[in-house]
Amino acid sequence: MQETLLLPLTIALPVLGFVILGLFGKRIGEPSAGWLASILVLGSFLLGLFLLLQGGARWALPDWLPGIPFSLNLDNLSGVMLMVVAGVGFLIHVWAIGYMHGDPGYSRFFSYFNLFIAAMLVLILGDSLPVVFIGWEGVGLASYLLIGFWYQERLNADSARKAFIVNRIGDLGFLLAMGLLWSMFGTLSISELVEKVEAGGYSFTTLTLAGFFLLIGAMGKSAQVPLMVWLPDAMAGPTPVSALIHAATMVTAGVYLLVRHAFMLHGDGFLSGLIVAVGFLTAIYGALCSLGQWDIKRIVAYTTLSQLGFMFVAVGVGAYWVAIFHIVTHAFFKALMFMTSGSVIHALGGEQDVRKMGGMRKYLPATHLHGLVATFASGGLVPLAGFWSKDAILAYSFEYGPWLWALMLFASVLAALYSIRWYVLVFWGDYRGKEHPHESPAVMLWPNHILMGGAIGVGFIGLPYVIDYKNFIEPFLTKAIGDFPHEKLPVLTEWTLIITSAVVAIAALWWGFRFFQQKMPAWYERLEAAALQGFYADALYNTLLVNPARGLAELLFGGDKGLLAGFMGLGSLVGGLGSVLTKLQTGALRFYMAGLIIALVLLVGWGVLR
Amino acid sequence: MIWLIASALLFSIGAYGALTRRTAILMFLSIELMLNAAALSLISFSKLSGSLDAQVVVLFIIAIAAAEVAVGLGLIVAIFRRRETTGVDELRQLRG
Amino acid sequence: MSVGFWEILALLLLVGTGLAVVRLQNAVHAALALIANFLVVAGVYVALEARFVAMIQIIVYAGAIVVLFLFVIMLLSAASANVGQDLLPRLSWVAGFGALGLASVLIFAVTRFQPPANAPALGGGLPQALGPLLYDPDKWLYALLAVGFLLLVATVAAVVLIEPERIVSATSHPAHPRQDPKPNPPTAEQKDERAVVKR
Repeated sequence: MQETLLLPLTIALPVLGFVILGLFGKRIGEPSAGWLASILVLGSFLLGLFLLLQGGARWALPDWLPGIPFSLNLDNLSGVMLMVVAGVGFLIHVWAIGYMHGDPGYSRFFSYFNLFIAAMLVLILGDSLPVVFIGWEGVGLASYLLIGFWYQERLNADSARKAFIVNRIGDLGFLLAMGLLWSMFGTLSISELVEKVEAGGYSFTTLTLAGFFLLIGAMGKSAQVPLMVWLPDAMAGPTPVSALIHAATMVTAGVYLLVRHAFMLHGDGFLSGLIVAVGFLTAIYGALCSLGQWDIKRIVAYTTLSQLGFMFVAVGVGAYWVAIFHIVTHAFFKALMFMTSGSVIHALGGEQDVRKMGGMRKYLPATHLHGLVATFASGGLVPLAGFWSKDAILAYSFEYGPWLWALMLFASVLAALYSIRWYVLVFWGDYRGKEHPHESPAVMLWPNHILMGGAIGVGFIGLPYVIDYKNFIEPFLTKAIGDFPHEKLPVLTEWTLIITSAVVAIAALWWGFRFFQQKMPAWYERLEAAALQGFYADALYNTLLVNPARGLAELLFGGDKGLLAGFMGLGSLVGGLGSVLTKLQTGALRFYMAGLIIALVLLVGWGVLR
Repeated sequence: MIWLIASALLFSIGAYGALTRRTAILMFLSIELMLNAAALSLISFSKLSGSLDAQVVVLFIIAIAAAEVAVGLGLIVAIFRRRETTGVDELRQLRG
Repeated sequence: MSVGFWEILALLLLVGTGLAVVRLQNAVHAALALIANFLVVAGVYVALEARFVAMIQIIVYAGAIVVLFLFVIMLLSAASANVGQDLLPRLSWVAGFGALGLASVLIFAVTRFQPPANAPALGGGLPQALGPLLYDPDKWLYALLAVGFLLLVATVAAVVLIEPERIVSATSHPAHPRQDPKPNPPTAEQKDERAVVKR
């Protein structure tokens, strides 16, 4: 591990893009702005790869805050994340060059996009928790700016605000955790914290509390139940935003944070159980809601929610490297799914309702291929990427408890179902709309080709041990995360689990393929109606939280206005008093003299009587 | 002393006159009465306290009264030259 | 407080003439009543051992000031007391009660006065006694000088106030050149003449 200035350079490149495009974007114009942004992200990727192959890098600015250095750390864990962020980010940048063509805010878009990459890199590379927090907030800001990119529409601005505010709740947890850790250990540098926690000698419950607050932060950023309400509405942003931020990268930041703090979570039964519960709830909730959506992007958004739940379960059962592995595979196939959806939307001239889609396989052959691969990967079809990471999660869940394995298997069935539903509604059957679909330009197809390759092949870096093929990723990550002793399952059990999940996935995909082509039965339609409303989560929050707060705000505003009116009334009171007193100004001399005499009488009388 | 009471009475009578008279000159006349009453009280005090300083002050009062009358009557003449009436109630420009 | 016949008489005369001043409708009569009042007051001064002041009272106050009043009354022909409308009708009641109140308060105040036990004698208030007081720089000299100056100023002011307005425009100074009035614009016939000549 070397100390080098090249490490902050990886962050500086997209920051440069942000500044240049922000200031001169209009002059640079289409499509150079997009290419500039993409090149810079590619630069970050290559630089990061280079440093990673050299064994990592560090960089620090001591005493940035009293006692807290501004330190960056590229180790195996953050290296993998950097590959995902910068690599997939680069592909999505290029795809967006085509997708955002013609938009008046073209350069502004890429400026914000680069800002996001920069902030995400700060988050990943930060070794000192305040630095991570800067990145944390930065991605929240970029997310806000990009969700509300077409801000002239009221709905988009509202969605952006909703995302930001719900995230804020998580940020509070993060801040509290930082405060607790500082007071417990006197340092906020993760590498130092690892040593101190291992050394022992602290209150166990306080550490659990700190971990709990970190979990709150992660839940906010990764849209776990109950802080998940912002993610479906975040689809108001352009599709590249949904692909990059709300599928591949930002929403995984919560998982990354927890994995980074594995040394705190490991062995804490309460926290682990809580994380598993939260993850499972989210997985089920996301899956069920996805089955009822009609907007193509919302369908995929809820699937993201579900997969994030899977990642959290992985963290909860102690399979930290698996969670990261799932982030990697998920980044590929989810970005692919989003970008395929975007290509379809682009092909149909902006249509997003799946009820007006269908039969796209005839019109958009290349995109259809992408969609097919994305569906299979997402549904967990062997031997695509999604299968291996999901299977690893299932295996570790089995270790935690067979009942959890059964629950997660049910969740993966749902995953297969929602994936195939997406595919059937968009690509199969007959076209139900009236547009003239045209295939996407090359600049949008090629990134999808690459992602497709990844969705097919990236699973092979993490094969289970029973298959006689080296598992690259587990030792790679464990070096950075920490080695937690883990008993391997017996060979027979492992094979049984693998085959069961493979068969179940195929069966679910096939059944769903048949089921979603026919007319929906009544029980399904009821489910759909409830799922469409997100099972009334938004309505619940509105009643419990939003409307009382709004009522209070209106009350205070009314009070403020009343106070103002009162002050102005005070003014008019004085004015009224004044107009009464003006009557004394008669201008008649004798009147004044009379006043004088009376005053004289009173004064002398008072003076005498004293 | 009785002259103190007398001066008080004269002062009050002068005040009544100042308020009641509607012509500027007659109002001024009443004011002179009030001034004289004050001087009377001073002389009484002088006698009661045995101090001559009060009498000196009265001399000054008389002198100042003279100056005041000169200027005041000049003002009255100047004002009423324009207005052709000596009515005090007509002077209402300071009405607010 | 011993009250003899002359005191009672003087008191009655004072109050009577005072009421006359404030109630008589003819301004000249009122001024004359004031003169009578002043003369009675001068007499009281003599009784109170302020002879010099009494003389001054007669000469200056009664003899000059009220005479000035009479001059102005005659100048403005303002002999009548009822001028115009009474625009503040109820003021006379206020004035009456006010005056009564004032009288009671003042009398009440005045009867509280405790004269010092051993008051030195005044010696009649003769000029020989007053002179040293007036001209002593530690006592009233500067007040005297100021009052003298005040009388000068009052005289000048009275003159200025009465002066008619032509005094204001008579300034010719190089810094303020007087602008000659513009020549009259040509009349209609003159205009026609010039037009004809041109042709």
